[in-house]
Amino acid sequence: MAEKPVIVEIDVGDGAAIPRTEDKGLVSAWWLSFIGAIVCLLALLIFKPDPYVRLIKFLPDGIIVTFQVTISSIALAIVIGLFTGLGRISQNRFINLAASTYVEVVRGIPLLVQLFYIYYALGRFVRVPDMAAAVIAMSVCYGAYMGEVFRAGIKSIDYGQTEASLSLGFNKAQTMFYVILPQAWRTILPPVGNEFIALLKDTSLVSILAVADLLRRGREFASESFLYFETYTMVAIIYLIITLILSKLVSIMEERLSRHERR
Amino acid sequence: MSAVDPIIAIRGVSKYFGSLKALDAVSLDILPGEKVVIIGPSGSGKSTLLRAINRLETIDEGNIVVDSMNLDDEANDINKIRMELGMVFQSFNLFPHKTVLKNLTLAPIKLKKISSAEAEKTALNLLEKVGICDKADNYPVQLSGGQQQRVAIARALAMEPKIMLFDEPTSALDPEMIGEVLDVMTKLAREGMTMVVVTHEMGFAREAADRVVFMDEGRILEIGSPDHFFNQPEHPRLKKFLSQIL
Repeated sequence: MAEKPVIVEIDVGDGAAIPRTEDKGLVSAWWLSFIGAIVCLLALLIFKPDPYVRLIKFLPDGIIVTFQVTISSIALAIVIGLFTGLGRISQNRFINLAASTYVEVVRGIPLLVQLFYIYYALGRFVRVPDMAAAVIAMSVCYGAYMGEVFRAGIKSIDYGQTEASLSLGFNKAQTMFYVILPQAWRTILPPVGNEFIALLKDTSLVSILAVADLLRRGREFASESFLYFETYTMVAIIYLIITLILSKLVSIMEERLSRHERR
Repeated sequence: MSAVDPIIAIRGVSKYFGSLKALDAVSLDILPGEKVVIIGPSGSGKSTLLRAINRLETIDEGNIVVDSMNLDDEANDINKIRMELGMVFQSFNLFPHKTVLKNLTLAPIKLKKISSAEAEKTALNLLEKVGICDKADNYPVQLSGGQQQRVAIARALAMEPKIMLFDEPTSALDPEMIGEVLDVMTKLAREGMTMVVVTHEMGFAREAADRVVFMDEGRILEIGSPDHFFNQPEHPRLKKFLSQIL
Protein backbone atom coordinates (compact mmCIF):
# COMPACT_ATOMS: atom_id res chain seq x y z
CA MET A 1 0.00 0.00 0.00
CA ALA A 2 1.24 3.47 -0.81
CA GLU A 3 2.34 5.65 2.08
CA LYS A 4 -0.07 8.39 2.94
CA PRO A 5 1.40 11.80 2.22
CA VAL A 6 2.17 13.68 5.39
CA ILE A 7 0.18 16.86 5.61
CA VAL A 8 1.58 19.43 7.96
CA GLU A 9 -1.12 21.54 9.50
CA ILE A 10 -0.22 25.13 10.10
CA ASP A 11 -2.44 26.64 12.72
CA VAL A 12 -2.72 30.40 12.48
CA GLY A 13 -5.17 31.87 14.93
CA ASP A 14 -6.49 35.36 14.67
CA GLY A 15 -6.62 36.01 18.40
CA ALA A 16 -3.89 37.41 20.57
CA ALA A 17 -0.89 35.11 20.69
CA ILE A 18 -1.28 32.80 23.66
CA PRO A 19 2.00 32.66 25.51
CA ARG A 20 3.01 29.04 25.97
CA THR A 21 5.39 28.27 28.78
CA GLU A 22 7.92 26.76 26.39
CA ASP A 23 7.89 29.87 24.20
CA LYS A 24 10.19 32.11 26.21
CA GLY A 25 10.08 34.92 23.63
CA LEU A 26 6.31 35.24 23.79
CA VAL A 27 6.21 34.99 27.56
CA SER A 28 8.62 37.88 27.98
CA ALA A 29 6.79 39.78 25.24
CA TRP A 30 3.61 39.33 27.22
CA TRP A 31 5.19 40.75 30.36
CA LEU A 32 6.79 43.59 28.38
CA SER A 33 3.44 44.57 26.82
CA PHE A 34 1.50 44.17 30.01
CA ILE A 35 3.88 46.12 32.25
CA GLY A 36 4.36 48.68 29.46
CA ALA A 37 0.61 49.20 29.14
CA ILE A 38 0.12 49.52 32.90
CA VAL A 39 3.05 51.93 33.25
CA CYS A 40 1.74 54.05 30.33
CA LEU A 41 -1.71 54.12 31.82
CA LEU A 42 -0.48 55.16 35.27
CA ALA A 43 1.94 57.72 33.85
CA LEU A 44 -0.79 59.35 31.77
CA LEU A 45 -3.19 59.45 34.71
CA ILE A 46 -0.59 60.90 37.07
CA PHE A 47 1.22 63.35 34.83
CA LYS A 48 -1.62 64.51 32.60
CA PRO A 49 -4.73 64.06 34.69
CA ASP A 50 -6.69 66.66 32.75
CA PRO A 51 -8.09 64.73 29.86
CA TYR A 52 -7.03 61.27 31.00
CA VAL A 53 -8.78 61.10 34.36
CA ARG A 54 -11.90 62.48 32.70
CA LEU A 55 -11.51 59.86 29.99
CA ILE A 56 -11.12 56.96 32.36
CA LYS A 57 -14.30 58.03 34.10
CA PHE A 58 -16.14 58.31 30.79
CA LEU A 59 -15.13 55.00 29.20
CA PRO A 60 -16.17 52.23 31.67
CA ASP A 61 -19.79 52.25 30.46
CA GLY A 62 -18.39 51.28 27.09
CA ILE A 63 -16.23 48.54 28.57
CA ILE A 64 -19.34 47.03 30.13
CA VAL A 65 -21.18 47.10 26.80
CA THR A 66 -18.18 45.57 25.07
CA PHE A 67 -18.25 42.71 27.55
CA GLN A 68 -22.01 42.33 27.24
CA VAL A 69 -21.77 42.01 23.46
CA THR A 70 -18.79 39.68 23.74
CA ILE A 71 -20.30 37.34 26.30
CA SER A 72 -23.75 37.10 24.69
CA SER A 73 -22.18 36.60 21.28
CA ILE A 74 -19.75 33.91 22.42
CA ALA A 75 -22.52 32.05 24.26
CA LEU A 76 -24.69 32.04 21.18
CA ALA A 77 -21.70 31.26 18.95
CA ILE A 78 -20.86 28.20 21.07
CA VAL A 79 -24.39 26.85 20.62
CA ILE A 80 -24.33 27.56 16.88
CA GLY A 81 -20.81 26.16 16.70
CA LEU A 82 -21.77 22.91 18.42
CA PHE A 83 -24.57 22.27 15.95
CA THR A 84 -22.45 23.37 13.01
CA GLY A 85 -19.61 21.12 14.10
CA LEU A 86 -21.98 18.18 14.50
CA GLY A 87 -23.52 19.00 11.13
CA ARG A 88 -20.10 19.09 9.47
CA ILE A 89 -19.33 15.54 10.61
CA SER A 90 -22.86 14.25 10.06
CA GLN A 91 -23.28 11.35 7.66
CA ASN A 92 -26.61 12.82 6.60
CA ARG A 93 -25.69 14.50 3.32
CA PHE A 94 -28.29 17.24 3.58
CA ILE A 95 -27.31 18.30 7.11
CA ASN A 96 -23.66 18.07 6.22
CA LEU A 97 -24.12 20.22 3.12
CA ALA A 98 -26.19 22.79 5.01
CA ALA A 99 -23.59 23.14 7.76
CA SER A 100 -20.68 23.28 5.33
CA THR A 101 -22.41 25.88 3.18
CA TYR A 102 -23.09 28.03 6.22
CA VAL A 103 -19.42 27.90 7.18
CA GLU A 104 -18.33 28.61 3.63
CA VAL A 105 -20.66 31.58 3.17
CA VAL A 106 -19.98 33.18 6.53
CA ARG A 107 -16.24 32.79 6.18
CA GLY A 108 -16.35 34.41 2.77
CA ILE A 109 -18.02 37.61 3.87
CA PRO A 110 -16.20 40.21 5.96
CA LEU A 111 -17.64 40.64 9.43
CA LEU A 112 -18.22 44.35 8.83
CA VAL A 113 -20.28 43.57 5.75
CA GLN A 114 -22.28 41.01 7.74
CA LEU A 115 -22.95 43.62 10.40
CA PHE A 116 -24.17 46.13 7.80
CA TYR A 117 -26.21 43.45 6.15
CA ILE A 118 -28.09 42.39 9.27
CA TYR A 119 -28.53 45.95 10.48
CA TYR A 120 -29.30 47.89 7.32
CA ALA A 121 -30.16 45.45 4.54
CA LEU A 122 -32.40 43.21 6.63
CA GLY A 123 -33.55 46.32 8.47
CA ARG A 124 -35.76 46.97 5.46
CA PHE A 125 -37.92 44.01 6.47
CA VAL A 126 -37.51 43.76 10.22
CA ARG A 127 -36.33 46.42 12.55
CA VAL A 128 -33.60 44.79 14.61
CA PRO A 129 -32.52 46.65 17.75
CA ASP A 130 -28.88 47.78 17.70
CA MET A 131 -27.68 45.48 20.42
CA ALA A 132 -29.54 42.47 19.04
CA ALA A 133 -28.23 43.10 15.53
CA ALA A 134 -24.72 43.29 16.91
CA VAL A 135 -25.04 40.05 18.87
CA ILE A 136 -26.71 38.20 15.99
CA ALA A 137 -24.09 39.27 13.49
CA MET A 138 -21.18 38.46 15.79
CA SER A 139 -22.53 35.08 16.81
CA VAL A 140 -23.50 34.04 13.28
CA CYS A 141 -20.01 34.91 12.15
CA TYR A 142 -18.17 33.34 15.07
CA GLY A 143 -20.53 30.36 15.10
CA ALA A 144 -19.01 29.33 11.80
CA TYR A 145 -15.48 29.52 13.16
CA MET A 146 -16.59 27.82 16.36
CA GLY A 147 -18.10 25.05 14.25
CA GLU A 148 -14.64 24.26 12.95
CA VAL A 149 -13.29 24.24 16.51
CA PHE A 150 -15.96 21.76 17.58
CA ARG A 151 -15.44 19.63 14.51
CA ALA A 152 -11.70 19.43 15.12
CA GLY A 153 -12.26 18.71 18.82
CA ILE A 154 -14.72 15.90 18.12
CA LYS A 155 -12.48 14.45 15.42
CA SER A 156 -9.54 14.44 17.82
CA ILE A 157 -11.21 11.72 19.89
CA ASP A 158 -10.11 8.25 18.83
CA TYR A 159 -12.74 6.41 16.78
CA GLY A 160 -12.34 3.43 19.12
CA GLN A 161 -14.28 5.42 21.72
CA THR A 162 -17.23 5.66 19.35
CA GLU A 163 -17.02 1.96 18.55
CA ALA A 164 -16.85 1.00 22.22
CA SER A 165 -19.89 3.15 22.96
CA LEU A 166 -21.89 1.81 20.01
CA SER A 167 -21.00 -1.76 20.94
CA LEU A 168 -22.53 -1.21 24.37
CA GLY A 169 -25.82 -0.25 22.73
CA PHE A 170 -25.65 3.54 22.76
CA ASN A 171 -26.99 5.24 19.65
CA LYS A 172 -25.02 7.91 17.85
CA ALA A 173 -26.51 10.87 19.74
CA GLN A 174 -25.95 9.21 23.13
CA THR A 175 -22.41 8.35 22.09
CA MET A 176 -21.74 11.99 21.26
CA PHE A 177 -23.33 13.23 24.47
CA TYR A 178 -21.99 10.72 27.01
CA VAL A 179 -18.67 9.70 25.51
CA ILE A 180 -17.26 12.01 22.86
CA LEU A 181 -18.15 15.56 23.94
CA PRO A 182 -17.09 15.08 27.59
CA GLN A 183 -13.66 14.17 26.26
CA ALA A 184 -13.55 16.71 23.46
CA TRP A 185 -14.12 19.79 25.60
CA ARG A 186 -10.51 19.74 26.77
CA THR A 187 -9.34 20.11 23.20
CA ILE A 188 -12.08 22.60 22.44
CA LEU A 189 -11.75 24.92 25.43
CA PRO A 190 -8.42 26.64 24.63
CA PRO A 191 -9.38 27.59 21.04
CA VAL A 192 -12.75 28.77 22.36
CA GLY A 193 -10.84 31.05 24.73
CA ASN A 194 -8.88 32.27 21.74
CA GLU A 195 -12.05 32.98 19.80
CA PHE A 196 -13.38 34.83 22.82
CA ILE A 197 -10.44 37.22 22.68
CA ALA A 198 -10.72 37.65 18.93
CA LEU A 199 -14.43 38.31 19.30
CA LEU A 200 -13.86 40.87 22.01
CA LYS A 201 -11.59 42.80 19.68
CA ASP A 202 -14.01 42.48 16.80
CA THR A 203 -16.83 43.90 18.89
CA SER A 204 -15.20 47.26 18.23
CA LEU A 205 -16.88 46.98 14.81
CA VAL A 206 -20.32 47.22 16.39
CA SER A 207 -19.58 50.81 17.33
CA ILE A 208 -20.78 51.71 13.83
CA LEU A 209 -24.23 50.36 14.73
CA ALA A 210 -24.77 52.93 17.46
CA VAL A 211 -23.97 50.37 20.13
CA ALA A 212 -22.21 52.31 22.86
CA ASP A 213 -19.23 49.98 23.30
CA LEU A 214 -15.77 51.03 24.37
CA LEU A 215 -14.76 52.36 20.96
CA ARG A 216 -18.07 54.17 20.48
CA ARG A 217 -17.74 55.85 23.86
CA GLY A 218 -14.26 56.93 22.85
CA ARG A 219 -15.60 58.40 19.61
CA GLU A 220 -18.28 60.28 21.51
CA PHE A 221 -15.69 61.72 23.84
CA ALA A 222 -13.34 62.65 21.01
CA SER A 223 -15.95 64.32 18.86
CA GLU A 224 -17.00 66.52 21.74
CA SER A 225 -13.56 67.37 23.03
CA PHE A 226 -11.55 67.07 19.78
CA LEU A 227 -8.94 65.20 21.82
CA TYR A 228 -8.48 62.44 19.24
CA PHE A 229 -4.91 61.54 20.16
CA GLU A 230 -5.57 61.29 23.88
CA THR A 231 -8.85 59.41 23.46
CA TYR A 232 -7.65 56.73 21.09
CA THR A 233 -4.42 56.27 23.06
CA MET A 234 -6.56 55.52 26.07
CA VAL A 235 -8.94 53.25 24.17
CA ALA A 236 -6.04 51.28 22.69
CA ILE A 237 -4.38 50.86 26.08
CA ILE A 238 -7.61 49.60 27.63
CA TYR A 239 -8.21 47.06 24.82
CA LEU A 240 -4.61 45.92 25.14
CA ILE A 241 -4.80 45.41 28.90
CA ILE A 242 -8.07 43.49 28.63
CA THR A 243 -6.87 41.15 25.86
CA LEU A 244 -3.52 40.59 27.57
CA ILE A 245 -5.23 39.56 30.79
CA LEU A 246 -7.60 37.28 28.90
CA SER A 247 -4.84 35.64 26.88
CA LYS A 248 -2.98 34.96 30.10
CA LEU A 249 -6.07 33.33 31.56
CA VAL A 250 -6.46 31.17 28.47
CA SER A 251 -2.84 30.04 28.66
CA ILE A 252 -3.21 29.16 32.35
CA MET A 253 -6.35 27.21 31.54
CA GLU A 254 -4.61 25.44 28.67
CA GLU A 255 -1.71 24.46 30.90
CA ARG A 256 -4.02 23.14 33.63
CA LEU A 257 -5.88 21.03 31.11
CA SER A 258 -2.75 19.52 29.63
CA ARG A 259 -1.35 18.82 33.09
CA HIS A 260 -4.58 16.97 33.85
CA GLU A 261 -3.94 14.84 30.78
CA ARG A 262 -0.47 13.86 31.92
CA ARG A 263 -1.79 12.52 35.22
CA MET B 1 -30.45 -28.84 10.83
CA SER B 2 -29.15 -29.26 14.33
CA ALA B 3 -31.36 -29.74 17.34
CA VAL B 4 -30.54 -26.30 18.70
CA ASP B 5 -31.08 -23.14 16.67
CA PRO B 6 -27.92 -21.11 16.17
CA ILE B 7 -27.70 -17.88 18.19
CA ILE B 8 -25.62 -16.34 15.42
CA ALA B 9 -26.28 -17.30 11.82
CA ILE B 10 -23.94 -15.87 9.20
CA ARG B 11 -25.16 -16.65 5.67
CA GLY B 12 -23.25 -15.92 2.49
CA VAL B 13 -21.70 -12.72 3.78
CA SER B 14 -19.47 -10.69 1.47
CA LYS B 15 -17.80 -7.36 2.08
CA TYR B 16 -15.73 -5.22 -0.23
CA PHE B 17 -13.18 -2.56 0.62
CA GLY B 18 -13.01 -0.90 -2.77
CA SER B 19 -11.96 -3.69 -5.11
CA LEU B 20 -10.63 -5.83 -2.26
CA LYS B 21 -12.92 -8.62 -1.19
CA ALA B 22 -12.55 -8.63 2.59
CA LEU B 23 -15.22 -11.30 3.11
CA ASP B 24 -16.08 -13.78 0.40
CA ALA B 25 -19.42 -15.56 0.84
CA VAL B 26 -18.75 -16.52 4.46
CA SER B 27 -21.28 -18.75 6.23
CA LEU B 28 -21.02 -19.82 9.85
CA ASP B 29 -23.48 -20.89 12.52
CA ILE B 30 -22.71 -20.42 16.19
CA LEU B 31 -24.76 -22.27 18.77
CA PRO B 32 -25.76 -20.93 22.19
CA GLY B 33 -22.96 -21.49 24.69
CA GLU B 34 -20.48 -22.34 21.99
CA LYS B 35 -16.94 -20.94 22.01
CA VAL B 36 -15.63 -20.30 18.54
CA VAL B 37 -12.08 -19.14 17.97
CA ILE B 38 -11.24 -17.56 14.62
CA ILE B 39 -7.62 -17.63 13.53
CA GLY B 40 -5.84 -16.64 10.37
CA PRO B 41 -3.11 -14.40 9.01
CA SER B 42 -3.59 -10.64 9.18
CA GLY B 43 -5.81 -9.34 6.42
CA SER B 44 -7.68 -12.63 6.29
CA GLY B 45 -10.98 -10.92 7.17
CA LYS B 46 -11.36 -12.44 10.63
CA SER B 47 -11.73 -9.10 12.43
CA THR B 48 -14.04 -7.82 9.70
CA LEU B 49 -16.26 -10.87 10.17
CA LEU B 50 -16.35 -10.38 13.94
CA ARG B 51 -17.15 -6.68 13.60
CA ALA B 52 -19.89 -7.47 11.09
CA ILE B 53 -21.69 -9.48 13.78
CA ASN B 54 -22.53 -6.29 15.71
CA ARG B 55 -22.56 -4.18 12.56
CA LEU B 56 -19.57 -2.04 13.39
CA GLU B 57 -18.80 -3.16 9.86
CA THR B 58 -21.59 -3.16 7.29
CA ILE B 59 -21.83 -6.01 4.81
CA ASP B 60 -22.51 -5.88 1.08
CA GLU B 61 -24.05 -9.31 0.51
CA GLY B 62 -25.68 -12.02 2.57
CA ASN B 63 -27.22 -11.64 5.98
CA ILE B 64 -26.47 -12.09 9.65
CA VAL B 65 -29.08 -13.14 12.19
CA VAL B 66 -28.31 -12.63 15.89
CA ASP B 67 -30.67 -14.12 18.45
CA SER B 68 -33.32 -14.46 15.71
CA MET B 69 -33.01 -10.77 14.78
CA ASN B 70 -31.81 -10.00 11.28
CA LEU B 71 -29.25 -7.17 11.40
CA ASP B 72 -30.37 -5.76 8.06
CA ASP B 73 -34.04 -5.69 8.95
CA GLU B 74 -35.00 -2.06 9.55
CA ALA B 75 -37.63 -3.22 12.05
CA ASN B 76 -34.88 -4.43 14.37
CA ASP B 77 -33.21 -1.76 16.46
CA ILE B 78 -29.47 -2.28 16.00
CA ASN B 79 -28.83 -0.70 19.40
CA LYS B 80 -31.01 -3.35 21.06
CA ILE B 81 -29.15 -6.10 19.24
CA ARG B 82 -25.82 -4.61 20.28
CA MET B 83 -26.89 -4.80 23.93
CA GLU B 84 -26.91 -8.60 23.51
CA LEU B 85 -23.41 -8.53 22.05
CA GLY B 86 -20.60 -7.54 24.37
CA MET B 87 -17.44 -6.55 22.55
CA VAL B 88 -13.82 -6.40 23.66
CA PHE B 89 -11.37 -4.52 21.48
CA GLN B 90 -7.67 -4.89 20.85
CA SER B 91 -7.03 -1.36 22.11
CA PHE B 92 -9.35 -1.65 25.18
CA ASN B 93 -11.17 1.62 24.35
CA LEU B 94 -12.06 2.35 27.96
CA PHE B 95 -13.59 5.78 28.51
CA PRO B 96 -10.62 7.79 29.81
CA HIS B 97 -12.76 10.53 31.38
CA LYS B 98 -14.54 8.08 33.67
CA THR B 99 -13.34 6.01 36.59
CA VAL B 100 -13.21 2.24 36.27
CA LEU B 101 -16.49 1.93 38.16
CA LYS B 102 -18.20 4.56 35.99
CA ASN B 103 -16.94 2.80 32.88
CA LEU B 104 -18.91 -0.22 34.01
CA THR B 105 -22.05 1.57 35.19
CA LEU B 106 -22.52 4.13 32.39
CA ALA B 107 -24.30 1.91 29.90
CA PRO B 108 -26.48 -0.06 32.38
CA ILE B 109 -27.68 3.16 34.05
CA LYS B 110 -28.40 5.04 30.84
CA LEU B 111 -29.65 2.18 28.69
CA LYS B 112 -31.20 -0.31 31.08
CA LYS B 113 -32.48 2.42 33.37
CA ILE B 114 -31.40 0.63 36.52
CA SER B 115 -30.54 2.57 39.67
CA SER B 116 -26.94 3.65 40.13
CA ALA B 117 -26.76 1.75 43.44
CA GLU B 118 -27.77 -1.47 41.72
CA ALA B 119 -25.44 -0.80 38.78
CA GLU B 120 -22.54 -0.20 41.16
CA LYS B 121 -23.23 -3.39 43.03
CA THR B 122 -23.19 -5.39 39.80
CA ALA B 123 -20.09 -3.52 38.65
CA LEU B 124 -18.18 -4.28 41.84
CA ASN B 125 -19.09 -7.95 41.55
CA LEU B 126 -17.80 -7.99 38.00
CA LEU B 127 -14.61 -6.20 38.97
CA GLU B 128 -14.05 -8.81 41.65
CA LYS B 129 -14.61 -11.50 39.05
CA VAL B 130 -11.91 -10.05 36.82
CA GLY B 131 -9.71 -9.46 39.87
CA ILE B 132 -9.44 -5.68 40.07
CA CYS B 133 -12.06 -4.49 42.54
CA ASP B 134 -9.41 -2.40 44.33
CA LYS B 135 -9.09 -0.18 41.24
CA ALA B 136 -12.75 0.84 41.06
CA ASP B 137 -12.06 4.53 41.70
CA ASN B 138 -8.98 4.77 39.50
CA TYR B 139 -8.94 6.21 36.00
CA PRO B 140 -8.07 3.88 33.12
CA VAL B 141 -4.78 5.65 32.44
CA GLN B 142 -3.56 4.61 35.90
CA LEU B 143 -3.98 0.91 35.06
CA SER B 144 -1.67 -1.49 33.23
CA GLY B 145 -2.71 -2.79 29.84
CA GLY B 146 -3.76 -6.14 31.26
CA GLN B 147 -5.85 -4.47 33.94
CA GLN B 148 -7.45 -2.17 31.37
CA GLN B 149 -8.41 -5.09 29.20
CA ARG B 150 -9.94 -6.91 32.15
CA VAL B 151 -11.96 -3.78 32.95
CA ALA B 152 -13.04 -3.70 29.30
CA ILE B 153 -14.29 -7.28 29.61
CA ALA B 154 -16.15 -6.39 32.81
CA ARG B 155 -17.65 -3.33 31.12
CA ALA B 156 -19.04 -5.47 28.31
CA LEU B 157 -20.35 -8.03 30.82
CA ALA B 158 -22.12 -5.30 32.80
CA MET B 159 -24.74 -5.12 30.07
CA GLU B 160 -25.39 -8.85 30.63
CA PRO B 161 -24.96 -9.76 26.99
CA LYS B 162 -25.83 -13.19 25.61
CA ILE B 163 -22.74 -13.26 23.43
CA MET B 164 -19.22 -11.91 23.86
CA LEU B 165 -17.09 -10.88 20.89
CA PHE B 166 -13.33 -10.58 21.36
CA ASP B 167 -11.30 -8.79 18.70
CA GLU B 168 -7.66 -9.76 19.29
CA PRO B 169 -7.96 -8.97 23.00
CA THR B 170 -4.34 -9.74 23.84
CA SER B 171 -2.55 -8.40 20.77
CA ALA B 172 -1.79 -5.00 22.28
CA LEU B 173 -0.54 -6.42 25.58
CA ASP B 174 2.95 -7.00 26.93
CA PRO B 175 3.65 -10.74 27.05
CA GLU B 176 3.52 -10.95 30.85
CA MET B 177 -0.01 -9.53 30.88
CA ILE B 178 -1.53 -11.84 28.30
CA GLY B 179 -2.03 -14.61 30.85
CA GLU B 180 -4.22 -12.61 33.21
CA VAL B 181 -6.58 -11.64 30.39
CA LEU B 182 -6.74 -15.18 29.01
CA ASP B 183 -7.49 -16.47 32.52
CA VAL B 184 -10.53 -14.21 32.70
CA MET B 185 -11.65 -15.35 29.27
CA THR B 186 -11.18 -19.02 30.14
CA LYS B 187 -13.21 -18.53 33.29
CA LEU B 188 -15.96 -16.90 31.27
CA ALA B 189 -15.90 -19.78 28.79
CA ARG B 190 -16.33 -22.30 31.60
CA GLU B 191 -19.38 -20.42 32.84
CA GLY B 192 -21.07 -21.16 29.56
CA MET B 193 -20.91 -17.77 27.82
CA THR B 194 -21.24 -17.83 24.04
CA MET B 195 -17.94 -16.49 22.79
CA VAL B 196 -16.51 -15.59 19.40
CA VAL B 197 -12.81 -14.85 19.72
CA VAL B 198 -10.41 -13.59 17.11
CA THR B 199 -6.93 -14.28 18.45
CA HIS B 200 -3.42 -15.46 17.78
CA GLU B 201 -3.28 -17.26 21.12
CA MET B 202 -3.23 -20.91 20.04
CA GLY B 203 -3.05 -22.06 23.66
CA PHE B 204 -6.41 -20.45 24.33
CA ALA B 205 -7.88 -21.93 21.16
CA ARG B 206 -6.71 -25.40 22.15
CA GLU B 207 -7.96 -25.13 25.72
CA ALA B 208 -11.23 -23.18 25.54
CA ALA B 209 -12.60 -23.51 22.02
CA ASP B 210 -15.37 -25.87 20.94
CA ARG B 211 -14.56 -25.13 17.34
CA VAL B 212 -11.70 -23.36 15.62
CA VAL B 213 -12.22 -21.53 12.35
CA PHE B 214 -9.36 -20.80 9.97
CA MET B 215 -9.77 -17.90 7.58
CA ASP B 216 -7.64 -16.62 4.74
CA GLU B 217 -8.36 -14.06 2.02
CA GLY B 218 -11.89 -13.49 3.24
CA ARG B 219 -12.89 -17.17 3.16
CA ILE B 220 -13.32 -19.84 5.79
CA LEU B 221 -10.93 -22.57 4.77
CA GLU B 222 -11.35 -24.99 7.63
CA ILE B 223 -13.55 -25.54 10.67
CA GLY B 224 -12.96 -28.17 13.29
CA SER B 225 -12.50 -29.16 16.89
CA PRO B 226 -9.21 -28.00 18.43
CA ASP B 227 -7.99 -31.57 18.42
CA HIS B 228 -8.67 -32.05 14.72
CA PHE B 229 -7.43 -28.58 13.99
CA PHE B 230 -4.00 -28.76 15.56
CA ASN B 231 -3.32 -32.48 15.17
CA GLN B 232 -4.73 -33.30 11.73
CA PRO B 233 -5.06 -30.05 9.78
CA GLU B 234 -6.21 -30.72 6.24
CA HIS B 235 -6.01 -27.55 4.22
CA PRO B 236 -2.44 -26.91 2.96
CA ARG B 237 -2.79 -23.19 3.74
CA LEU B 238 -3.66 -24.04 7.34
CA LYS B 239 -0.76 -26.48 7.62
CA LYS B 240 1.60 -23.77 6.42
CA PHE B 241 0.06 -21.20 8.81
CA LEU B 242 0.35 -23.53 11.80
CA SER B 243 3.92 -24.48 10.95
CA GLN B 244 4.81 -20.80 10.91
CA ILE B 245 3.35 -19.89 14.26
CA LEU B 246 3.68 -23.01 16.41
